[in-house]
Amino acid sequence: MVNVASNPALSTQAGPVILPTGAPDASMVRVRGLAKAFGTNVVLSDVSLGVEAGSVTAMIGPSGAGKSTVLRCLNLLERPDSGLIQIGRHSIDVEKGILPANLAELRRSAGMVFQSFNLFPHMSVLRNVSLPQQRVLGRSRAEADEVSHRLLERMGLRDKSSQYPNRCSGGQQQRIAIARALALEPEVMLFDEPTSALDPEVGAEVLEVMRELASEGMTMVVVTHEMRFAANVSDQLVVMADGQIIECGDPHQIMSDPQHPRTQRFLKAVLDR
Amino acid sequence: MEALRTVLLGLPMTLGVTAGALLIGTALALPLTLGLELRRGPVWFLCRVIVDLVRGVPPVAWLFILFYGVSVGAVRLSALSAGIGALGLVASAYLAEIFRGSLKSIHFGQAEAATALGLSRGAAWVDVIGPQAWRTALPAYTNYAIALLKDSSIVSIVGVAEIVSRSGQLSRTSDLGIFVFVLAGAVYVVLSILVASGSRRLHRRLHEAVAV
Repeated sequence: MVNVASNPALSTQAGPVILPTGAPDASMVRVRGLAKAFGTNVVLSDVSLGVEAGSVTAMIGPSGAGKSTVLRCLNLLERPDSGLIQIGRHSIDVEKGILPANLAELRRSAGMVFQSFNLFPHMSVLRNVSLPQQRVLGRSRAEADEVSHRLLERMGLRDKSSQYPNRCSGGQQQRIAIARALALEPEVMLFDEPTSALDPEVGAEVLEVMRELASEGMTMVVVTHEMRFAANVSDQLVVMADGQIIECGDPHQIMSDPQHPRTQRFLKAVLDR
Repeated sequence: MEALRTVLLGLPMTLGVTAGALLIGTALALPLTLGLELRRGPVWFLCRVIVDLVRGVPPVAWLFILFYGVSVGAVRLSALSAGIGALGLVASAYLAEIFRGSLKSIHFGQAEAATALGLSRGAAWVDVIGPQAWRTALPAYTNYAIALLKDSSIVSIVGVAEIVSRSGQLSRTSDLGIFVFVLAGAVYVVLSILVASGSRRLHRRLHEAVAV
C-alpha cells in the first residue's frame, strides 16, 4: 500500500480522481526527447509531448511525418534511439536500458488499436477478447468471458461473440479490437489510424465508440486523418511533419489559425477538398 | 489372395516407420525453424548448415550411415531404428523449410498485436503464431507425409519387413513375379488417397470457420 498522506505527489490529487494515476502532475503520458533514425534517415527528432489524464490528443500531419512512429514508441513496439517515455506510473529511459519487467508494465498500461485491426483470425470473437486477459492478467476463463461479454455488449456486438473475425465487417472488427484492448484495463488507449482501412460510413461507427470512450474519461492518443474528429473530440491537437512536432495546442485554435507554414499547407490540402 | 495378405502384413510396419519418422522429423523441425527464423548469428548459421547438410545427402546414404556407422556403446542401431532415424532426420530438414515458409505468410501485425497486448513471447507463439502457421503448413505437411509414406520403402534395404520388403520376398519365392509389386503399388495409392482426402477435409474445416 502507498501511504497517500506522506506522499506529496499523490496527496495533491485531492478532488475526485477519475482514473488512478500516481503521476506527480496531471500528465498521464509524457514523452521527452524522443529520437529515432534508420541509418541516416531521421524518423523522429527530439519529440516531446504531454497528455493529461482523461484527455484526448489527436495527432495529424502528412504521411511519413512520424505520427505512427511516436505512437508505436509509446508502448515500445518501435524502439527509439533515445528519449524518456512515461505512462502513468511506469517510465522508461531508453538510454538507461529497458528491463523486461518494466517493459511489460508499460505495455500493460497502454492499449493499442491498429489500422489493420490485427484480430486473431483463428479464434472466435469472444476468444480474441478473453485470451489476452487470461494470459496477461491471469484471469480465469469464466472471469475473462464475463468481462468480454460486457465489453462486446457495450460495443454493440453481443451477437457476434461466437463468430470468427473474418465473418465480421471492418467496423465490427475494429470495435472488437477496441474491446480486446479495453479488457486489459489500460490507463491510456493508443489509436493508430483506426478508421483508415474503413469506408467512411463504417468508420463512423468506430469514431462513435471512440467518442463515447473519450466522454467516459479515457485518456486517448489518436493518430488520424479524420479532421472533424480531431477538431471536435480532441482536447489537444498535435501537428507533425518531418519527424518533428511543428505545432501543438488547442485544436480549434490550430485549425482556424495555424501558425507554422507547413501546418497551413497541410490543413489547406485536407480541408479544402 | 495370398499375395494381398502378404503385402498387407507389411502395412503396419510401413505405417509405423512413416509415423515414427514424421514424429521425429516434426520434433526436430520445430527448433530448427526457430533457429532459421533468427536470420543471423551463430545459432542461425548452425541451423542453416544442418538443414542444408541433411537435405543434401540422399536418404539412403543416411540410412547406411546410421545403420552401419552408428553404435550406442557396443550395440549397433537396429534396422528399424536406423530406418526411422534416417527418414526422420531428412524429414526434419524439409519440414523446417515448410514451417519457415508458413511463418512467412503470417501477417506481421499478428505478432505485433500479441506484443502490444502484453502477451509473453511464449504465449504469442503458442496461442497466436503457432496455430496459424500450422494451418498454413498443413497442405505442404501432408504432401510431405505422402511422399514419406512411399519413401519409407527404402528401409527394406536394411531388412525392415514393410510392404516392399515382404513383396520382394514373395516375388522371389513364388511365381507371382511382378504382380506382387503391382499389388503393393495399389496399396500405396489407396493409402495416399486416404491421407490426401483426410488432409483436405481437415483443411476445409479449419478454413470454413476462419475464411481468410
